[in-house]
Amino acid sequence: MSKTLEKNKRNDKDIQLIQAINAGRQDLFYQLVERYEKSLYNFGMRMCDNPSDTEDMVQDTFLNVFKYLKGFRYETKFKNWLYRVATSACLKKKRRSKFAPDRELSIDEFLPSDESAITTELPRWASQPLDRLLNEELGGVIQQALLDLPEKYRLVVVLRDVEGFNTQETAEILGLTPANIKVRLHRARLFLRDALKVYYETE
Amino acid sequence: MKRSDSHQPHSNCLALFEKLSEYIDRELDAPTCKDIEAHIRDCKPCQVCMGTLKQTIELCKHLEHRSVPETFHRKLKDAISDLTEKHPG
Repeated sequence: MSKTLEKNKRNDKDIQLIQAINAGRQDLFYQLVERYEKSLYNFGMRMCDNPSDTEDMVQDTFLNVFKYLKGFRYETKFKNWLYRVATSACLKKKRRSKFAPDRELSIDEFLPSDESAITTELPRWASQPLDRLLNEELGGVIQQALLDLPEKYRLVVVLRDVEGFNTQETAEILGLTPANIKVRLHRARLFLRDALKVYYETE
Repeated sequence: MKRSDSHQPHSNCLALFEKLSEYIDRELDAPTCKDIEAHIRDCKPCQVCMGTLKQTIELCKHLEHRSVPETFHRKLKDAISDLTEKHPG
């Protein structure tokens, strides 16, 4: 086994459970489901915004994971592989749903449009403590802004900033280069920032 | 974000604007970070740009995670039980 595979095995908290399942203890599979059910459900809701599609996605993901777990070769952490399966299930669902159209976001569209749009004072929302800002309404504004993002940007920002994967992990999940992830992430964040600006400026 | 004329933002500001996320994520090398910090110290608009982007990221990181609906939780549990009973190993 290569050094990378050995390292992946050492650092993966799910490995013992997976080894037990693959050694014949299929009854333990539900423990794996319990570990990730909530995070996958939330990932699905961020990506689909539709409980029915989300539930299908979560169930399909776990069924596929069960089916292919024996073939899991520790090339990446189990969690990264799980999200790769989930992303693929999301994309299948998406083709049947109505979503923000796919388009490229250009960095130029986030630059101030003219002199008057350049501000020298930090707006209040950007300096307040998070617990004073976060509420159901703001959560809804961010969720809507995520849904307005073209999917390839939404996937990256949800994996990086909402789910907490790092650049390398996100690249592995999506089969992209880290450089590509960084470009998409920056544009997605600028898009969300503009949505927040609009929300607070028109409040 | 300073402007060197009425149409074009200052080139240092533009360079910073493109690297802001990588700077916030600590993914840049030390000399580039130093350059950014030196620029931002004197550039109010870039400070604002950095501040609003940082806060956007923090808000995303702290979004509330909702609970799985009980009906779905049970449905999933049943589906997994069916599956593992059919393939007991």
